[in-house]
Amino acid sequence: MLEIKNLHATIGGKEILKGINLTVKPGEIHALMGLNGAGKSTLSYVLAGHPAYTVTEGSVTYHGKDLLAMSPDQRAHEGIFLSFQQPVEIPGVMMYNFMRAAINAKRKASGQEPIGATEFRTLMQEKRKLVGLDSHLANRGVNEGFSGGERKRNEIFQMAMLEPTLAILDETDSGLDVDALRIVAEGFNRLRQADTSAIVITHYQRLLDYIRPDIVHILIDGRIVKTGGPELASEIEERGFDWIKESL
Amino acid sequence: MNQYIELFQNHRELIEGHSLPLQNSLRETAAKAFSRLGFPSKRVERYKYTDVPAVFAPEYGVKLDEPVKNQQIPDSVARRYGTLADVEGDAVTALNTMLSQELTVIHIPAGEHRQQPIRLTRQLHSTVPLMQNRRLLVVVEDGAEVSLLMSDQADEEQDFLTTQVTEIFVGKGASVEVYDIERTNAHCHRFHQLYADVSEGGRFLHTSFTLTCGLTRNTTNVRLSGKGANAELLGAAIIDGQQHCDNNTLIEHISPGCTSNELYKYVADEHAIGAFAGRVLVHKDAQQTESHETNSNLLCTPWARIYTQPILEIYADDVQCSHGSTVGQMNDAALFYMQQRGLGADEARLLLKQAFTAEVLQRIPFEPLRDWLRNLSNLRFQGDLNHCRTCQLCGKS
Repeated sequence: MLEIKNLHATIGGKEILKGINLTVKPGEIHALMGLNGAGKSTLSYVLAGHPAYTVTEGSVTYHGKDLLAMSPDQRAHEGIFLSFQQPVEIPGVMMYNFMRAAINAKRKASGQEPIGATEFRTLMQEKRKLVGLDSHLANRGVNEGFSGGERKRNEIFQMAMLEPTLAILDETDSGLDVDALRIVAEGFNRLRQADTSAIVITHYQRLLDYIRPDIVHILIDGRIVKTGGPELASEIEERGFDWIKESL
Repeated sequence: MNQYIELFQNHRELIEGHSLPLQNSLRETAAKAFSRLGFPSKRVERYKYTDVPAVFAPEYGVKLDEPVKNQQIPDSVARRYGTLADVEGDAVTALNTMLSQELTVIHIPAGEHRQQPIRLTRQLHSTVPLMQNRRLLVVVEDGAEVSLLMSDQADEEQDFLTTQVTEIFVGKGASVEVYDIERTNAHCHRFHQLYADVSEGGRFLHTSFTLTCGLTRNTTNVRLSGKGANAELLGAAIIDGQQHCDNNTLIEHISPGCTSNELYKYVADEHAIGAFAGRVLVHKDAQQTESHETNSNLLCTPWARIYTQPILEIYADDVQCSHGSTVGQMNDAALFYMQQRGLGADEARLLLKQAFTAEVLQRIPFEPLRDWLRNLSNLRFQGDLNHCRTCQLCGKS
């Protein structure tokens, strides 16, 4: 489904990704672990098409299509969703209008009619409840005045609305207390379809207790240096990353 | 400027014969003032962002023989004509006072509450380049309430130069809302000088919405002359192409316990030029003044320009005042976030522009007007203002 081959990427002339190889099959959950600066967030931004990053080498295909040739919105229409580590505040753009525009853009791309007002309102109500956001959500500005926890829940809410085929969760656990983490993770699990895949980026085992990965990768200095099963995450939790570095 | 003095001298009889007597009483004074002042150059602080002599230089036709509307104007109202406008000090006001024949008088007697806004819609239409000098006198007596909706529109084919001088007297405890909506085009040059005086406990709201324009200069001067008077000045300008919009405001706190709030927002795209100068002057006796002024601007291209100048002058010692301005560009992080959710780049920019002006719209208290303006500005951002489909107010279909 997602196939990343020898991916190199730079920002401001500095190389961050130095040859990533990763294949994600339908329904798989991959965890990506690593220290700060290893390139985890860069990978998520490059997959989403952030304009600040330049791909210098390698390829990414998604469902057989050249992902790197697509604009960020086209990638979203193809089913890629990025849950941002620090969701930006967009004052004055109402969640209702924003989500409706997003859903309609996706529908338009696949030749569907725009969603009706009633249908949309029902959908929004149903999905916000999954992550415990109240009815004021519709008339609030996007992340405007949201607490850290609310922002993360809002990311999962948007994921629920857009029903992606590949969700990239970039440190969705950061800044969340245990209760909020549980709500967010349970929300994610309930939303997952059998063929929905995910790349879960995290520093800690904590999130992976709720969202059970099939495969765990360790990213160091722009390369995936070790791949294993869920037990690898537990080992990192106990022993840190140094032993991996030393074994290289 | 000589062409205007000659016009007045050569056709004085015609001008006066097609005007109400109260307008004629001030012409001589105005002509002298105008000859003395001349058009202000850019070296005059209040006009530094608009090249006034250049705007008035071309030849325009003027219709001097329009029939006079017969109006019964009470003496108490007529007496106020020209007493608030700065006929002696402002050249454009003097010019208008010297030449204007078209006068609209609105008089709301004490205690009368008008539920529906009074509409003053103007559609400029001409076969030759045309100058119009309009005049509006509004007297709202004690305790009365009224709102005025002014809308300027113009045919595409012709050049227009318009001056308008508006004088508004807000009585004690009275409430006046003015909505000045411009949706003209690149061929229009517009000067609107508005002077308002607010008596004790009176409330004055002025909303200026420049949806489309050619070159526009709005001068808005408000005197809070009675205790506890309140003024709110709202403004939005959506400009692109070569459009030029210059708003110059003055709020004078003369009496104690008055409040004023001012918010102007500009969205400048392509090569547009926007200017805002907002002066708040707190006089010596205006203790317990509260005044807040904000001007925020969104520049959508590297070529658009904004000049912003909030000015606060305080001569009293017990006041709460703030003023500030910002000039920013499209938020790239927000644009990427929206695109990641599937919105096209253009649609994302559109939502950001709409969001930027929403703050002004939210402060408009009269809901039907707020919705109408929101609809118009959304259409404007989509480049579709002349194809208004959903509203009934503007009369287009």
